[in-house]
Amino acid sequence: MSMRSQVYEWANLAPAGVTSTLRRTTADLPKALVANREYDLFIGGVGNNITKPAETTATQFIVIEDIACSATLNGAVQIRINTTDYFQNPDVTDMVGIPGLASPYPRGSSTTVVAAAVTTAAAQVTAENLLKSFDLYPDVYVLPGQTFQILYTPLAATAASTQVVSAFVKYTLYDGPDALIANKLLELGVTINPNNVDWYKRSLIEQQQRGAAAASAAAAAAAANGGGA
Amino acid sequence: MSMRSQVYEWDASRGTPATASNAGNRISVFIGGIGNNITKPAETTATEFVVIEDIACSPSLPVGVNANFAAVATDPIRGLTFNNVGGVAGGRSYVQVRINTTDYFLDPDNVPNDGIPGASSPYPRTIDFQPSFNLYPDVYVLPGQVWDMLVTFYNCQGLLFGAAVGIPNNAVATCDAGELQAFCKYTLYDGPDALIANKLLEMGISINPGNVDWYKRSLLASQA
Repeated sequence: MSMRSQVYEWANLAPAGVTSTLRRTTADLPKALVANREYDLFIGGVGNNITKPAETTATQFIVIEDIACSATLNGAVQIRINTTDYFQNPDVTDMVGIPGLASPYPRGSSTTVVAAAVTTAAAQVTAENLLKSFDLYPDVYVLPGQTFQILYTPLAATAASTQVVSAFVKYTLYDGPDALIANKLLELGVTINPNNVDWYKRSLIEQQQRGAAAASAAAAAAAANGGGA
Repeated sequence: MSMRSQVYEWDASRGTPATASNAGNRISVFIGGIGNNITKPAETTATEFVVIEDIACSPSLPVGVNANFAAVATDPIRGLTFNNVGGVAGGRSYVQVRINTTDYFLDPDNVPNDGIPGASSPYPRTIDFQPSFNLYPDVYVLPGQVWDMLVTFYNCQGLLFGAAVGIPNNAVATCDAGELQAFCKYTLYDGPDALIANKLLEMGISINPGNVDWYKRSLLASQA
């Protein structure tokens, strides 16, 4: 299990009295979000978090394949590798990242949640089903030893009736020998995906088999010529 | 029939139905004692090889808390019961794969997590709830291994526990049909095809019916 598809889902939900939690609970409540502030999905102190910054060890390689977030609150999601933001404006200035409208999560959800002047719960959600306009291709590579962050930025603050938003990242974790192969593929300029890692393994095995066959043929030829070297 | 496409569907309302007291706990869809179960843990024999190709569970929808409504709204949002305390419609459910004692899905800090959210891999899929996740690469269950699918749900007020509308955390009322489900699609390789699957695994080739057939053809061609 050295290539594993992984998912991380964040929501601004945590138990009463705290702003973040390491484990989801049944008593989670929505937490307020400030407009135009970047929230680190992993250690941002709001919603469900993890124990330490997301980083790859010397024997890990991560390929981020998809990011998405709620379209409500005009949210956007950015990838940061070490201290470098991945998505930039054409003038190379900072931006908030991929809008939830372009890469919605959950897929099929609505663009807005109507907080006031509704008489039914269903009327809070507008009728449209958002589909993705954005595909994270080429993938984003997190090399061994790098730290990465996924940053969610709402352009609007949560209303008095607190909204729930979520974000999502899908990545593949290459560990151990497969991480070494991923590095090798990177050097070769070959796209890193499970198929290409398998292809590299096969080519190594074929090389070994050819080498073994050549060695045995050479030994047989030497024996036929009256002895070894 | 040595390569067979298989499906397992779990519904928390069947058998012993889920109650709010099960919220936050990991439930085995095979032998967890909740919903429809099977007779023994899922395991492969020495001559079987299982490739898990898709997993999914009931979706949920983040909405928000609305002061205009009671704690549990009586009308659903896109077919999901809305919990106006947590602000989420649906069960907020997740599904994890476990091989022997190892959880497959981890957080970036290498701590096992709840698994794939139903919001990213919904079952059933509808226009309202579409997948963001596909299980690639597949998960291999090698001969002799035990495997399990574990469902966790957190938003018990987002599940319509029987007639208990408006009664959050009612531990007596039970889950209704279709409210909390999980799904697994896998291919079972048996007998000679399981041996070929092992061989493909050694060779670093993806195990799927096409590649197993290719290996058989290459064996026949080398004999001819």
